Amino acid sequence: MDSDRGENGDSSHNHVSKKPKLSAFISEEEIRQEFSHHQRGIARINNGSFGSCPASIIAAQKKWQLRFLQQPDDFYFNHLRKGLLESRTVVKGLINADSVDEVSLIDNATTAAAIVLQQIGRAFAQGKFQKGDVVVMLHCAFQSVKKSIQAYVTGAGGSVIEVQLPFPLTSKEEIVSEFRKGLEKGKSDGRHVRLAIIDHITSMPCVVVPVEELVKICRQEGVDQVFVDAAHAIGSVPVDVKEIGADFYVSNLHKWFFCPPSVAFLYCRKSPLSSEVHHPVVSHEFGNGLAIESSWIGTRDYSSQLVVPSVLEFVSRFEGGIEGIMMRNHEIVVKMGEMLAKSWGTNLGAPPEMCASMIMVGLPSRLFISSEEDAMRLRSYLRQHHGIEVPLHYQAPSDVEGGPKDKDGLVTGYARISHQVYNSFDDYCKFRDAINQLVEQRRSCKMLFME
Amino acid sequence: MSRAMCMTWRHSSRLFSCCPLPFTSPLLLAPSHFHYIISDIIVSHHHSHLLSSFTQNPSSQSSIMESSPPHHQQNESNGTHNISKKSKPMLISESDLRFEFSHHDPSIARINNGSFGSCPASVTAAQHHWQLLFLRQPDHFYFNRLQPAILRSRTLIKDLVNADHVDEISLVDNATTAAAIVLQQIAWAFTEGRFQRGDAVVMLHYAYGAVKKSIHAYVCRAGGQVIEVPLPFPVNSNEEIVDEFRRALMRGKANSGRVRLAVIDHITSMPSVLIPVKELVKICREEGVDQVFVDAAHGIGCTDVDMKEIGADFYTSNLHKWFFCPPSVAFLYCRKTPETCPELHHPVVSHEYGNGLAIESGWIGTRDYSAQLVVSDAIEFTNRFEGGIEGIKKRNHDGVVEMGKMLASAWGTNLGTPQEMCASLIMVGLPVSLGISSDSDAMKLRKHLRENFGVEVPIYYRHPKDGEVNPITGYARISYQVYNTIDDYYKFRDAVNQLVSDGFTCALFPK
Repeated sequence: MDSDRGENGDSSHNHVSKKPKLSAFISEEEIRQEFSHHQRGIARINNGSFGSCPASIIAAQKKWQLRFLQQPDDFYFNHLRKGLLESRTVVKGLINADSVDEVSLIDNATTAAAIVLQQIGRAFAQGKFQKGDVVVMLHCAFQSVKKSIQAYVTGAGGSVIEVQLPFPLTSKEEIVSEFRKGLEKGKSDGRHVRLAIIDHITSMPCVVVPVEELVKICRQEGVDQVFVDAAHAIGSVPVDVKEIGADFYVSNLHKWFFCPPSVAFLYCRKSPLSSEVHHPVVSHEFGNGLAIESSWIGTRDYSSQLVVPSVLEFVSRFEGGIEGIMMRNHEIVVKMGEMLAKSWGTNLGAPPEMCASMIMVGLPSRLFISSEEDAMRLRSYLRQHHGIEVPLHYQAPSDVEGGPKDKDGLVTGYARISHQVYNSFDDYCKFRDAINQLVEQRRSCKMLFME
Repeated sequence: MSRAMCMTWRHSSRLFSCCPLPFTSPLLLAPSHFHYIISDIIVSHHHSHLLSSFTQNPSSQSSIMESSPPHHQQNESNGTHNISKKSKPMLISESDLRFEFSHHDPSIARINNGSFGSCPASVTAAQHHWQLLFLRQPDHFYFNRLQPAILRSRTLIKDLVNADHVDEISLVDNATTAAAIVLQQIAWAFTEGRFQRGDAVVMLHYAYGAVKKSIHAYVCRAGGQVIEVPLPFPVNSNEEIVDEFRRALMRGKANSGRVRLAVIDHITSMPSVLIPVKELVKICREEGVDQVFVDAAHGIGCTDVDMKEIGADFYTSNLHKWFFCPPSVAFLYCRKTPETCPELHHPVVSHEYGNGLAIESGWIGTRDYSAQLVVSDAIEFTNRFEGGIEGIKKRNHDGVVEMGKMLASAWGTNLGTPQEMCASLIMVGLPVSLGISSDSDAMKLRKHLRENFGVEVPIYYRHPKDGEVNPITGYARISYQVYNTIDDYYKFRDAVNQLVSDGFTCALFPK
């Protein structure tokens, strides 16, 4: 076993997390070195979109890539499957799955959505589901998932119900009650709700959804299948797939779990459904179960899927391992969010307990963000002229109450800030000051780029 | 050409790449081969300049101020300088060629370029540059760099393959993915009732295993029937293939009336045969086949790939096999027709759904697209050889034919095809005494050759026909690429000779 590890090119040879650590934890300087490839001068507070990968994992990945280039046949016949099985086994342990057969490695959550929805589409086509049967999703589901539903569900005769996510919100009960309403609607007129797609952590606006509770409600209400899109979850919130109880659960490992682009796991609870899901790229392993099908979908670079064991080693260098990282990311992002909201006189989009390592912070009304285009323009401006990378969300005022206000008007824009181990206090100060500067200069979104 | 010089060359295994078989093939001692000798003496400064550009510190190239004009972006993003426009680069020297493939395991005679391809160091370096750009500032990369770079790759490919319009070129991972895309569309046509249950899809019996499974998954599951075209092997002429193909089309039309799709390999995988695709496509048109999909996994960089000449509706080829790209990247060509063109979609649906396959394929979620971005670097690499990719193809073909004949002669066997029915791969019969009597034997022999002789070569088991006396049942598929030397083939020759003289047979393998 040790010699196998040595062949991996990993610098150490054991699962360090199992041994008591005698040496000191990773130092500030070492963290800086691990992320020294990040562009200097950029306040990188958008870890949510594309994630981040430390230098030692990139190095591990290059070793795997080189192995393939050196002797690809040997790599294919003797090393690839073993390496993938090791990665899947690590993931199984992280998420408390019963069996490694339930864990497949794929490119990203977008691919997982295609896999689950193709299966739904086939069920419609084969008459297992009736035309008009329903798929329920959150209205703020990630756009690629929405399009996937359009392609595979609506196209096959299914209908879709969107559950409004209240935002800003103050408690998870708001989400639960909207969800119940959505399910009711789905079951009306004698229809069946065949699938519920629930985000664990929504993208924009970003909140942590009470998935366990929603899955329970789905079971009570006779929903056939539940798919949790947890693109952001692993490395961000604790993930226990048995507790959560969904049929399908996907999370990207390159967002918050330090893997290179790109790799995600798709958990498929063992059930009669398991044999119905297939990877859309059919290759030699078709019919051998999704996990095995996914392990070979033609010649490509599988190296990002092979470094998962190396990431365990990396996180063990931090105090408390991944749990410690998650806890500190959460504490700091909340603190930074509160600091920004106070400085700008605005509000947070959700209470701290509904955030993980990202939080929504209201932007001053004086910026007059009145559309998604405005938000995008401001985002580009911040990137180009201030070296700040942060995604911005436009929240249309609700018809009834309008929405939260600052001293000058309605707050219609929110920044989704993140905190990851490489961030520093300066990143958030830079953002704070840039916004304050814009407000002082009385520059609204529409005026940006026009001077 | 003095005998003394030939003696020197024979012992310089690397020079084989310039000049194969100085003893046995005077034909190949053409004057053009002197180029390599000359450039070996004159150090290629140009090449070292190109390499250094790959190791430039990327942070010097992009700055916080984003307003880089397009021409800056172009220089930065392909990681090279447009030297080829200013002065013709010197031809690659022996030592540079060695360096480019120095990452290959030196203990292995690597004569299986067909399975996984190969990638020179300079292209890998260009790829690393792109990977680093993403890691540095992924949002900027996503919003400003990625799509123009993908478009550039697609445009270069469009020119390489003589397509009319860049919209016709999509980049995908590999031919396996392309097959899924084409077949998914066929499945929908069945589901939506545009095709009737029992309508046929025709494919070659030697179609690639993954593609066969894809056809069964997407076509049979949706109600279509599959007709396989049996092909003779060994094969002696194109006519044998054409006849079988016509017969299969007749069968398809007799059973159900409509043949909705023909899947034709340009170069079959195992056994490897160069198929007369242009002729078969013509026959498909004459016989009213709805769609023709050419699976040319081995096509580009190996044989002539001209979309308009070949005339298929869909054509896919891997760039990482014979076009020096890293794993993995392939193009899928979809002919724009005046009539309704079937709507193809990438199965991984993302933001760009509905904007055409080429645009859909340009974003299928966060992943590493860097292999798709180095097409220009691969082209530059081929231009360092005499005749560019055309010269490489020709020399690969000549080389593999010579080596095939050498081996067949040494073993007393035969080639599986005439030389005009192969490109840079050829099937060489293995001695009967090896007793290859199943697919499993072929696989075990391959492993044995890898582990005990340091030879990497795929072996094909050919089921003998009734009545054949002492049939050759095993064929090796040897390849020839710019990094190969005559020693690779001698090593294989000697390994097999040793097995034969040791009295080895596959029956000796444990069950």
